Amino acid sequence: MNEISDEPPAAFAALADALVPAAHGMPAASTVVDGNRLAFVVQARPDLADPLAAIVAMPMFDDPATRLDELAAQHPELLAALHLVVVAGYYSDPHVRTLIGYPGQIVRPVSALDYPAYLDEGLLDRVIERGPIWRDPTATGHDSA
Amino acid sequence: MNVSAEVGVSGDRPDGPADVLIIGAGASGGVVARRLAEAGIRVVCLEQGAWHDRTEYRGAELDWELTARRQWSSSPNIRALPEDYPVDDERSDVSPLMFAGVGGSMILFAGAWPRMLPSDFRVRSLDGVADDWPLTYEDLRPYYERSDRQIGVSGLGGDPAYPPGEDPPLPPLPIGAGGLRVARAHSRLGWHWWPEPNAILSAPYDGRNRCVQRGTCMQGCGEGAKASTDLTHWPRAIAHGATLITGARVSRIETNSAGLATGAHWIDGAGTEHFQRANAVVVAANGIGTPRLLLMSSSEAHPDGLANSSGLVGRRLMMHPFANVTGLFDEQLESWQGHFGCSIESFEFYETDERRGFVRGAKWGLAPTGGPVNAALPSRAGAQVWGADHHLHVRSRLGHGASWGLFGEDLPDEENRVTLSATATDSSGLAAPELQYSVSENSRRMLDFHIEKASESLTEAGAHTIEVDRLMRYSGWHLLGTARMGTDPTTSVVDEWNRAHDVPNLFVVDGSCFVTSGGVNPTSTICALALRAADRMVERRHDQPVVW
Ligand SMILES: Cc1cc2nc3c(=O)[nH]c(=O)nc-3n(C[C@H](O)[C@H](O)[C@H](O)COP(=O)(O)OP(=O)(O)OC[C@H]3O[C@@H](n4cnc5c(N)ncnc54)[C@H](O)[C@@H]3O)c2cc1C
Ligand code: SF4
Repeated sequence: MNEISDEPPAAFAALADALVPAAHGMPAASTVVDGNRLAFVVQARPDLADPLAAIVAMPMFDDPATRLDELAAQHPELLAALHLVVVAGYYSDPHVRTLIGYPGQIVRPVSALDYPAYLDEGLLDRVIERGPIWRDPTATGHDSA
Repeated sequence: MNVSAEVGVSGDRPDGPADVLIIGAGASGGVVARRLAEAGIRVVCLEQGAWHDRTEYRGAELDWELTARRQWSSSPNIRALPEDYPVDDERSDVSPLMFAGVGGSMILFAGAWPRMLPSDFRVRSLDGVADDWPLTYEDLRPYYERSDRQIGVSGLGGDPAYPPGEDPPLPPLPIGAGGLRVARAHSRLGWHWWPEPNAILSAPYDGRNRCVQRGTCMQGCGEGAKASTDLTHWPRAIAHGATLITGARVSRIETNSAGLATGAHWIDGAGTEHFQRANAVVVAANGIGTPRLLLMSSSEAHPDGLANSSGLVGRRLMMHPFANVTGLFDEQLESWQGHFGCSIESFEFYETDERRGFVRGAKWGLAPTGGPVNAALPSRAGAQVWGADHHLHVRSRLGHGASWGLFGEDLPDEENRVTLSATATDSSGLAAPELQYSVSENSRRMLDFHIEKASESLTEAGAHTIEVDRLMRYSGWHLLGTARMGTDPTTSVVDEWNRAHDVPNLFVVDGSCFVTSGGVNPTSTICALALRAADRMVERRHDQPVVW
C-alpha cells in the first residue's frame, strides 16, 4: 500500500476525477487527494488498503467511466471502498472544507440556563392547550384526552 | 485470537463464591450491579469486552467518519473485534447492532431516553393483540424517575403525551435550527411535538461534563456527557465492593441437581477456562446475547436450554423496524452538529387508530444528518451523485437536512427468533447466534402510514426534497423479547420480577424480558425494569437459596 500512498497512481487519479471532477468552483479530487491524504485514509482504515490496491492493479484502461460501471456491476464492494477513499481524502482537506463552509465538528458547550427560544415563541402552547394525548388503559378504551 | 486481548479486573478479585454473578456489564448489568453493591451484596460481573477510555473515541478527530464505518461501527459483523460475537443475520430483514464492553451498547447508543407509554403495557386489553405486561406504567414510574436521576436525563417536564410525574433532573438540550423549523411546522399543523428527553447532560452533573454538541454520540462520547453505565453505575458499584472482570466470555451457566444455578464457566483471551461460583446468577447480555447463553447452557436436565421449559427462550425477538424520512432545506441548518439523540419527538400518531389499517403506532425522533463524508456517499435512501454535479449534491445536503426516525411497535411473533448457528462461531469457538426475523404486515403498514405523515411534517417545515428509506437494514439497535416476562411459566421465561420460572436463583434483566416492544427507544425502560428487579433481589435476599 505504501506505493499508493506515497504517490497516487495515475489509475487512481483518473477514477477519482471521474467521481469528483473540478466543477462549480471546487477542485478535482486528483489535485486534493495526494499521497498525504491517502496515507491519512489508509492509516485510519488499514482495511481499505487492499481494495484500493486491487482497483489500481486492474489492467490499464482508457475510460474511467466504463471502469466505474464495471466495478458497479462486478465488484460493488470495491467501488464502495473507492468511493469512501476518495470522499474521505477529499473532504478532510482544509481548503475543500473552507470551500463547502464546513468547519468540522466543533465544540459548542450547551448553555442550559438559556431560556429556550421555542418557549418564548409559544411553539408549545398549542400542544399544551390540547391537553393529554396518552391513552389511559384504565379508562376502558377512552383516551385520556 | 480469543475474546479481548487481556483480562482486566476492577475491584478485588473474589476468592470465594459471589453472592450474585452478573453476566454482561452493559445498561442493565450496570444498573443491577450498582444497586446490589450499594446494598452490601458481593457482586462479580463477567464482561466479554474491555473497559474503554474516553480518549479512545474518535469524535474530535479528522478520521471520525472513517472509523465510524469500521472500528466504531455498531454492527458486530463489521467491527469484527475478537470480543464481538458474529451474528448470522442472513435470514433477518434487519441487522442487529450492539457493542461489547463496559457500558455495553450504551457506548454507541444515541442517548434518546423516552419512556414507554401506559398503553404499551396493555396492548392485549386495549387492542386485542400480543400480551399485556404483568406490570403497569404506574408500577414502573418510580423506577423510571430514580433511574433518570442516576443517568442524568435532560428534558422538559409536562409532556402531554405522558401521565404527569417528576420532571427530568436537567433542563432540555437545544433543539437546533432543524428542530426549530419542524417544531414551528407542528405548531402550525396542531401536531404534537416535544423536546426529546436524552441521557445526555445539558449541564455538569454528578462529576460529569455537559454536552458540547459535537454530534458524534454514536461513536462514543469523548466528553462523558452521554450516559453509559461505565460512567454512571460501574464506578459506584466498584467503590461499594463489586468486582468487574473484563475480557471474560461466559460460555455456559452451570446448574446443580437441585435445579439451582451454581455459577458460570468463562474463557479468557488466552483460551483458558475458568469457573466463577455464585449463589445467584443475573444474565444481562442483551436480547441476543442472553438467549444465546441460555441455549448454550443446555444440559441433560435442561435439554432445550436453561430456563426454557416454555420453549420461548430466543423466540419473540423484536427489533423495531425503522424507517427514515429526511427533508432537505434551502436554509443552512448546520445539521452536522447537535447531540445525536433526538432533538425533538412527536407522539402525534402513536396510539392505535384502527381506521389506519394497523394497530399501535410509532414514535418519531428528529436527528442530525452527519458530516461531509455522509453527505457525499450514497444516502440512506440510496441517493448518490458523481461527476460534476457531485458538488451541488453535497452542498445541497451537508448541514441542510433534518431526519425523522420512525420507530414502530414491533408485535411479537414466535417465528422471529434467535437460535444457535450450526456453523458460525465467535473467537472462543462458541456457537454464534443466528437470527430469523421478518417484518410483519402490521409493521409494514404502520411504517408506510408514518412515512407519509412524516413527509407531510417536513414539507410543512419547508423541505424542498424528501427522501425516504422505507426499512433501514442496519437499524437493529433495540433487541427485545427473547426471554419474556409473565406470570404463567408455560408462556413466559421469567416472572414479573425478572426471576426465571424454572431456576429460582437465575434472573434475566436485559431487554430480553420485554413482553412487547412499545414503539419507543427502550433503554430507559430496560434500566427502570433492571432497577426494579434489583430492588426486589435486595428485599428478598434472605429468602434466596444458598448454593455454596
Ligand atoms: C448504535 C446504537 C444506538 C442506540 N441508540 C439508542 C437510543 O438512542 N435510545 C435507546 O433507548 N436505546 C438505544 N440503543 C439501544 C441500547 O443501547 C440498548 O437498548 C441497551 O444498551 C441494552 O441494554 P442491555 O443491558 O440489554 O444490553 P447491552 O447494553 O448490549 O449489554 C450487554 C453486555 O453483555 C455482554 N455480553 C454478551 N454476551 C456475553 C457473554 N457470553 N459473556 C460475557 N459478556 C457478554 C456484551 O459484551 C455487552 O457489553 C442503541 C444501540 C445502538 C447499538
Ligand atoms: S454531542 Fe454531546 S453527547 Fe454527543 S458526543 Fe458530543 S458531547 Fe457527547
